[in-house]
Amino acid sequence: MTAGVRAVIEGMQQLPLHVGPADQAAFDNFYAGENGALLHALREIAEVAQRAVLWVWGPPDSGRTHLLQATAGAADAAGFRAAFVPAAETSVAPDALDGLGELDVVCVDDIDHVAGHAGWERALFVLFEDLRQAGARLVLSARCAPLHANFDLPDLASRLTSGATFRLQALDDDQKRAALQSRAAWRGLELPDDVAQYLLTRADRSTAALFRLLDRLDTESLAAQKRLTVPFVRGVLDSARRGG
Amino acid sequence: MQASPWNRCVKQLRADLSEQQFNTWIRPLQAVEDGSTLRLLAPNRFVVNWINDHCLEQIQSYVGVSSPPVDVILEVGSLGAPRKVAVEDGGTPTETRPAVPVAFVGGRLNRDYTFDRFVEGNSNQLARAAASQVAHNPGAAYNPLFIYGGVGLGKTHLMHSIGNLILEQRPEARVAYVHSEQFVGDMVKALQHNTINEFKRTYRSLDALLIDDIQFFAKKDRSQEEFFHTFNALLEGQRQIVLTCDRYPKEVDGLEERLKSRFGWGLTVAIEPPELETSVAILMGKAQAEGVDLPEEVAFFVAQRIRSNVRELEGALRRIIATSAFTGRPITLDFAKEALRDLLALQDKLVTIDNIQKTVAEYFKIRVADLLSKRRSRSITRPRQIAMSLAKELTNHSLPEIGDAFGGRDHTTVIHACRRVKLLRESETRVSEDYQNLLRILTT
Repeated sequence: MTAGVRAVIEGMQQLPLHVGPADQAAFDNFYAGENGALLHALREIAEVAQRAVLWVWGPPDSGRTHLLQATAGAADAAGFRAAFVPAAETSVAPDALDGLGELDVVCVDDIDHVAGHAGWERALFVLFEDLRQAGARLVLSARCAPLHANFDLPDLASRLTSGATFRLQALDDDQKRAALQSRAAWRGLELPDDVAQYLLTRADRSTAALFRLLDRLDTESLAAQKRLTVPFVRGVLDSARRGG
Repeated sequence: MQASPWNRCVKQLRADLSEQQFNTWIRPLQAVEDGSTLRLLAPNRFVVNWINDHCLEQIQSYVGVSSPPVDVILEVGSLGAPRKVAVEDGGTPTETRPAVPVAFVGGRLNRDYTFDRFVEGNSNQLARAAASQVAHNPGAAYNPLFIYGGVGLGKTHLMHSIGNLILEQRPEARVAYVHSEQFVGDMVKALQHNTINEFKRTYRSLDALLIDDIQFFAKKDRSQEEFFHTFNALLEGQRQIVLTCDRYPKEVDGLEERLKSRFGWGLTVAIEPPELETSVAILMGKAQAEGVDLPEEVAFFVAQRIRSNVRELEGALRRIIATSAFTGRPITLDFAKEALRDLLALQDKLVTIDNIQKTVAEYFKIRVADLLSKRRSRSITRPRQIAMSLAKELTNHSLPEIGDAFGGRDHTTVIHACRRVKLLRESETRVSEDYQNLLRILTT
């Protein structure tokens, strides 16, 4: 290996966004709660060739991004060509949709974020038509239902209402606890009731933050060779607060 | 089987990149490996640029360490390999995409869209009859046929039906269905690649050209110019042209006058939002095509609540079917109400008496206070009656409540207003159009 290559590889290990395989968004590590019908529909979209449009809406932190990434991943695993487009990301422009009409499954996250942008709306319209004509699948996510997304192009807005629309419910505290425990179990980690409850009362209660915390607890408990108990978790939280 | 250099590389990238980056930029790539080179095909230039900027070096280093070393070529392209496509007639998925004839333009005709499956009602029967005549007698009956109307009312369906029927009668006919956006895109590409002559030849050699949503030509002068010549060439050769638009041709801003006037040379027909019974028939037909048992009372319920266009009706039906597929429960009225709870809550929130009064006042350029006043001049009475009628149709308020909301009027006034509007809609096109427009504004 040349020095240059080594430098590149070493450089990459410093990327902060490392995600272990255990936490890849998947249907199996999504806590369904009352969203069973949605999960069922998304699995079908990922696995079965069909002409389909599906719109998922819900508040931030309700798991939309997770579901769309899981759909793209599952479609890929089923042998379909899939893409995930985070429309709200500044690194992404309408040009990113060019040619995606050739794919089997396209998932566009945060589509409401680009409503009212002429370039995006045109690109989405073309994508919709291309996918529809090819008999492919389009999955969209937004904070609101299609009717409320404020698109300027009525042709686009009405087309986007033609698929099934699902509202994703944010989890209440009981469901969050269950979601945490199921995520922990999925990672092979035991999270007792009292510890889960402790986390919910002491930490940032957004699901994403809780999952990040769980990630950290997993690492720390492994390093310390300790099980998750309230005192242990308190110690980790305290050290986090002190900037550790 | 040993993992290929690319497969090993993907595994590494998955660990290096954030999940979002991986899904956005790496997943859509197609790889062609032949031992010494790895060709990565990206769907577009945007993806190529991102990979160039962010991880091409990584990719090169990962595949470079294999023996023999592999060169990486990154470009826009597609394998065009067999892809799994949903079969149009609802059969099992096939592995291959139907071969596209050489020099064919436009999109594929959707075989689901036939005259048989088009549900006819008062709102669309003229358009359907004209389309059917054109399909049976292309180039001779009405040329061009211009179909206009709001979104989601079946213009595209009729257009595909024409194409399908022409092909059924003459399989060798060259029929192209092209969305006007696609026409513009193809033309820009032809100009870029210096193939404009081929573009012209292809379009001008068609037997039938079906162009959807021509309002997209607005303000695109070069495309209009090219389309104008294509249009003339086809018309001269007695080839059929069918156009759709979201409004009457003269009302499209940014369209050249000479085009507008030519669009009117043949027959111009409107397609209106479906009335209740047609909506019900559409829902029943769609459900049947999906092999789903949809009780009539459920279809009536959905059609009553969703009035704006057929696409939304379809969306509601898809939601019901999806929920039923998951729960395994049969579709009943209660089941449908439950499945559509969120969707309908939105509609309810949208349509209030206040909202109706505001919208109607704006539409007729009067004040809401006029609607609620005792004034009885016709310029006020007519909008007031229309607003009351809309309130009865679109909200669940009782008639006394509606009367009350209109300046404390009696419920018999509301009944009278609804009757009056019903009669006027049947006898005066203007009133009928105003009413339909308002319905659409309020429900979309």
